[in-house]
Amino acid sequence: MYAPLLANRYLTSRIIPFLAVAAVALCVALVIVVVSVMSGFLDMVRSSGKTLIGDVVVTRDIVGIPYYQDFIREIEALPEAEAASALVESYGLLQMPYGTGDGGKRIETVQVWGIDPESFDRVTDYQSKLYWRTPTAQEAKSLGPDDPRLESEYQRENDGMSLRDSFGNPGIVLGIEISPFNRRTKDGSYRTENQLGQQDPGYFMPNVGNVLLTLVPVSESGRIVGEKKSSFAVVNEFQSGVYQIDAQRVLAPLTDVQRMLMLDEAELTSKTEFDDNGRPKVIGTTPARATTIVVKAKRGVDPRTLREAVERAYGNFYTKAMENRANMVKPPARVIVATWEERLSDLIGPVEKERELMRTLFSIVYVVCAALVLAIFWSIVQEKTRDIGILRAVGASRTGVLWIFLRYGLLIGVVGSIVGVFLAWTIVARINDIHDLLGTPAPMWLRVGAWVIVAIGLLMIVRGIVRASALQTVLWGFGTLALIAIAIVLWHHEGHVIWDPSVYYFSRIPSTIDFHTAWTTALGGTIFSVIGAAIPAGRAADTDPVQSLRYE
Amino acid sequence: MHAPPQTTLPLISAQNVRKTYRLGKISVPVLRDASIDVHEGEWVSIVGSSGSGKSTLLHLLGGLDRADADSGAIRFGGEDIRALGAARENRYRNRDVGFVFQFYHLLPELNVLENAMLPALVGLSRWRWFAEKGALRDRTAELLKTCGLGHRLLHRPAELSGGERQRVAIARALVNGPRMLLADEPTGNLDAKTGAGILDLLAERHAAGLTMVMVTHDASIAARAQRQVRIADGRVQ
Ligand SMILES: Nc1ncnc2c1ncn2[C@@H]1O[C@H](COP(=O)(O)OP(=O)(O)OP(=O)(O)O)[C@@H](O)[C@H]1O
Ligand SMILES: [Mg+2]
Repeated sequence: MYAPLLANRYLTSRIIPFLAVAAVALCVALVIVVVSVMSGFLDMVRSSGKTLIGDVVVTRDIVGIPYYQDFIREIEALPEAEAASALVESYGLLQMPYGTGDGGKRIETVQVWGIDPESFDRVTDYQSKLYWRTPTAQEAKSLGPDDPRLESEYQRENDGMSLRDSFGNPGIVLGIEISPFNRRTKDGSYRTENQLGQQDPGYFMPNVGNVLLTLVPVSESGRIVGEKKSSFAVVNEFQSGVYQIDAQRVLAPLTDVQRMLMLDEAELTSKTEFDDNGRPKVIGTTPARATTIVVKAKRGVDPRTLREAVERAYGNFYTKAMENRANMVKPPARVIVATWEERLSDLIGPVEKERELMRTLFSIVYVVCAALVLAIFWSIVQEKTRDIGILRAVGASRTGVLWIFLRYGLLIGVVGSIVGVFLAWTIVARINDIHDLLGTPAPMWLRVGAWVIVAIGLLMIVRGIVRASALQTVLWGFGTLALIAIAIVLWHHEGHVIWDPSVYYFSRIPSTIDFHTAWTTALGGTIFSVIGAAIPAGRAADTDPVQSLRYE
Repeated sequence: MHAPPQTTLPLISAQNVRKTYRLGKISVPVLRDASIDVHEGEWVSIVGSSGSGKSTLLHLLGGLDRADADSGAIRFGGEDIRALGAARENRYRNRDVGFVFQFYHLLPELNVLENAMLPALVGLSRWRWFAEKGALRDRTAELLKTCGLGHRLLHRPAELSGGERQRVAIARALVNGPRMLLADEPTGNLDAKTGAGILDLLAERHAAGLTMVMVTHDASIAARAQRQVRIADGRVQ
């Protein structure tokens, strides 16, 4: 019955347990904050790649998939699939409406996606990626007061959704980074500026005029068939959140791109028979083709499950298409079906590598913190070796003695870990505020205040010396040194924006605690506290009491 | 004072006890074939020069230290204490023997009452503790009162004088009503007057039937015992 009494006394009669709780809490908080922010960042990079692609992607380059409407119907009948949309992908050249300064017009190499906006939106939430649109009430609150999107002039989601300009001409939507006149500001939003860096609605892309798109159709045999040019009105811009995409992708109406790439519906002519005019005889029509089908999974369906279902659906589609005698062409026997992760592996690969590296770094942080917690408890319990000798001398059992210190380690570990989780949660939840605070120069009252406190510290040192108190002198001495350092830093602090949204693509630091990390770290903190306490306690309990009693 | 009843079995008996300390490659033999018999109700003093091994012998008798492997037996009530299982060994230290150390060895976090109660707490299960808590407190407080500490029950050891601490240590040694008290220079750090007071306390206990083995440097204290033995050259002479 002595174990609870002693454990309580050890916990309440000294300051050391509080220091131990603080140490455990800081270690736990450190690990959680570092892991949460870094893995939050990696998750953000990783999932940002998913924009505008859906969960599963079916591709057949160049020749495309004929009768794709039947395939889409087949997919949409799947219980795993929510929606599907057909695309045509190609590379092309885009002649911008403005010049390079030396007379010629600027040409950009772009990746062209021909889309059907309505079904594309159902799969990829396309509308929300349009940059020039009416912000939701929520979004409006977070926009700067001078953000152009607050003005109706800039709210062009209808044009973006129809891919037509107001005269009904085919429109095109550019990635927001394609135009060099879109300047990304500190809060992560864009302003249209002219060459002199002044805000200028004249450089707002949808106002600038038409672009000329050049595509190169390739025949089934792989030969280049000549170039096709077409003019499009810029109707909007989009921001996917991935620089590589935003800097080179353009979205145009599916039918126009199909036509330019000669993937549209066409007459099929005979190679041997000729009509009265001596032209090859028309024997039917070839169907339109899509090079890519993007598919969205039903809520809660894993992309891999969906991929398998889509593979099966293609099998069905293929069999039916082959059986249908009315069909003039055969669909390809093989298409590539990939989840978005597989499709973006070149983008995600480095992120995953980074994550591995991070894991290594995290484990170092973890080991260091664990060693620290271990060392703290080790020294606390080592101090109690003589007490253990006394207990053993009056007949306490080994397990009884061990139990006292297990209790001790457990209690401090649990309390410390809980405090640590709360601390981490507070820090992570406010990390953007903290960052903003670091980003602004310290106010004058704080700078002056810091020096006033330094002066008080100096006075306290003098007081300590006059009163011949070594402790006071030492404490205020070191305290004042630290204060001087803080005061100097504050004085020179001009504000460091560590996470500059005009450079980084994400405007906010991830601020959610990784739940899994939080509980494993808290558990780890507790376990290492207990181990740290148990080892020296066990050692002392195992030695003969006289030996422990000799411990000074 | 009555003569020791030589005919009966000794309460504790050590035969040819050996204890060697090993410091790296050097081995320091402290006890070489030391033998001692103490009978029930006896008061024996152990004297000897400093470093002769008095404390070592007392620790061995109290089961606080381990003799060499080739050592003779140490028997308490006929039972070899070196061969006790862990549980019986704990009970031996807890109930059969009371030990008073030269340097008090109190737990600094516990108050006087709790320190004195400690062996009783160690011996009690949780359930018996709930049942006997009050009685145990009263009994210990009473014991402390007879040791002259009635007014200091809730003080910490750090707030006591050396003599007072030693009284707490004695109360702790007596709280479980042991059959034998082993005291290692209980008055060694105290002035003559305080020491005399402590000694009177122990003499009272002895008169009440407690067997005592006491290590001391002081000839006058040793003289109060019924029998004195001297340790020299690792043997009891
Ligand atoms: N743990 C140990 N390691 C090495 N040597 C030890 C150890 N404990 C005791 N000794 C040695 O054993 C010898 C006997 O020590 P012990 O404490 O029994 O002497 P003592 O007779 O009680 O002396 P004192 O009267 O000074 O208390 C001493 O020489 C001491 O140095
Ligand atoms: Mg000694």
